[in-house]
Amino acid sequence: MKKKTHSEKETYDLAKDFAKKLKGGEVLCLVGDLGAGKTAFTKGLAAGLGVKGIVTSPTFVLMKIYPVKSSPAGILLETKLFNGVNKANHRIKEMAHIDAYRLKEGQELINIGAEEYFRDKECVTVIEWADRVKEIWPKGCTKIYFKILNGDERVIEVKK
Amino acid sequence: MKDNKVKIILAIESSCDETAAAVIKVTGKKPEILSSVVSSQIDIHKQYGGVVPEVAARHHVINILPVIMEALEKAQVNKKNIDLIAVTAGPGLITSLMVGVEAAKALSAAWRVPLLAVNHMYGHIAGNFLQPLKFPAVCLVVSGGHTEIVVLKDHINNKKIGQTVDDAAGEAFDKVAKLLDLGYPGGPIVSAEAEKFKVQNSKSKSNAIKLPRPMLGSQDFNFSFSGLKTAVLYAAQKMSPKERKARTSEICHEFQNAVIDVLVGKTIKAAKKIKAKAVLLAGGVAANKKLRESLREAAESNGFKFAVPEFKLCTDNAAMIGLAAAQIIKKKKVPLDNYKKIVVDCGWELN
Ligand SMILES: Nc1ncnc2c1ncn2[C@@H]1O[C@H](COP(=O)(O)OP(=O)(O)OP(=O)(O)O)[C@@H](O)[C@H]1O
Ligand SMILES: [Mg+2]
Repeated sequence: MKKKTHSEKETYDLAKDFAKKLKGGEVLCLVGDLGAGKTAFTKGLAAGLGVKGIVTSPTFVLMKIYPVKSSPAGILLETKLFNGVNKANHRIKEMAHIDAYRLKEGQELINIGAEEYFRDKECVTVIEWADRVKEIWPKGCTKIYFKILNGDERVIEVKK
Repeated sequence: MKDNKVKIILAIESSCDETAAAVIKVTGKKPEILSSVVSSQIDIHKQYGGVVPEVAARHHVINILPVIMEALEKAQVNKKNIDLIAVTAGPGLITSLMVGVEAAKALSAAWRVPLLAVNHMYGHIAGNFLQPLKFPAVCLVVSGGHTEIVVLKDHINNKKIGQTVDDAAGEAFDKVAKLLDLGYPGGPIVSAEAEKFKVQNSKSKSNAIKLPRPMLGSQDFNFSFSGLKTAVLYAAQKMSPKERKARTSEICHEFQNAVIDVLVGKTIKAAKKIKAKAVLLAGGVAANKKLRESLREAAESNGFKFAVPEFKLCTDNAAMIGLAAAQIIKKKKVPLDNYKKIVVDCGWELN
């Protein structure tokens, strides 16, 4: 999938929709320059998953775990809206938001216990600046590339 | 353990990049820092040989005991004299926090000294507790990873009323430094560049760089700095490499002003709203001179007392955790077996 967005809101909405396709256990490797929209995308993703509360940039804290708190009613509504694409959404219990911006090598992510979340089928893991830790990308991870075009235009490409 | 018997507190902190320990002495009402050791200050790496990864629990594991021992030695305190151990239990990385917390638990059990869990953000605020304060107070806590406004009813009762919704203020400085190829750490570099502009350029230009003041007018007490990062990116994109280089100090000047305008504006607004008596500043970004001066000026001209900890109490350290503990134990008895109940809380929010 390759899409052009023209505002932060569009990127947010794109990610929110994208979240409905997730089943749990996915590792999303986000690659793109400063200000490309990786955190903006993650905010939309979190909203789509049913994370309550404010998703902030994890650059300094390295990793933040958000519980998924979708109410059963909310999930039912979403399932209806998206024609059952994401019936399994209720299995997702956490979103792990990681940022490799300050890291020099993948081993540092292993050291803070990130792999535990990669393997967790009830967790969706998002890694910003994932290109810095390529050597530890798990098999079958989803790559999402962000490009800054003119002004607020961004190209977002999802690759399996 | 009786409150009035508590004299010596050993504090331990390992929530972020630093491993730290400190010894606090409380006599009557007044706390005193006997020692404060931060891992980056002492040459543990040499002691152990080999390379230690910068961001890793292993780094804390290697540092923790030497740092604690050094703090005790510097304070000339024997383990028998310790009345309380205080440890940061969150927020932070689980693997990092666990090193400090498990070490503290082991010491608590072995030495039969009660253990108290302290919130890292409250610790930053407590960096101000060496000086007399007036309440209610509003504290702006700014660091690389956090930007929060906290209301304090007294020394202990606090409530977070606002925070950044994306990038922290310190992070914005680092990323702007990166966008302008200025290096790391960004805070001091961007500030130094901003200073240069004032000296060189006093006459205003018609094409002066103007950056937004995100959320300054919003009704809540939240902040947003990622839009400012993007505005700097766009401004730099429009310039040729040569122009960008020539105008770096101007960009930094306007950027720093924008960040400070929003931080100060929102903090003063909060202070007015809750009818505060004092405005406090805390966290690593409090090292920014311009921010300290601007907030002091705004606070005092609005009739609020202003306080900020000395530099070494602003960046991550354990003394602030001890100062926080010194307040908490005035109101709370800590049982000897409290260590059994303490668990790391990575997402520990202030109320
Ligand atoms: N189409 C768009 N999609 C996403 N963000 C956009 C778009 N247009 C403008 N923006 C702005 O770009 C910025 C994206 O910032 P964000 O922090 O999400 O980027 P990031 O890739 O996470 O950066 P960093 O490398 O600092 O982590 C925001 O200020 C946002 O408002
Ligand atoms: Mg980001």
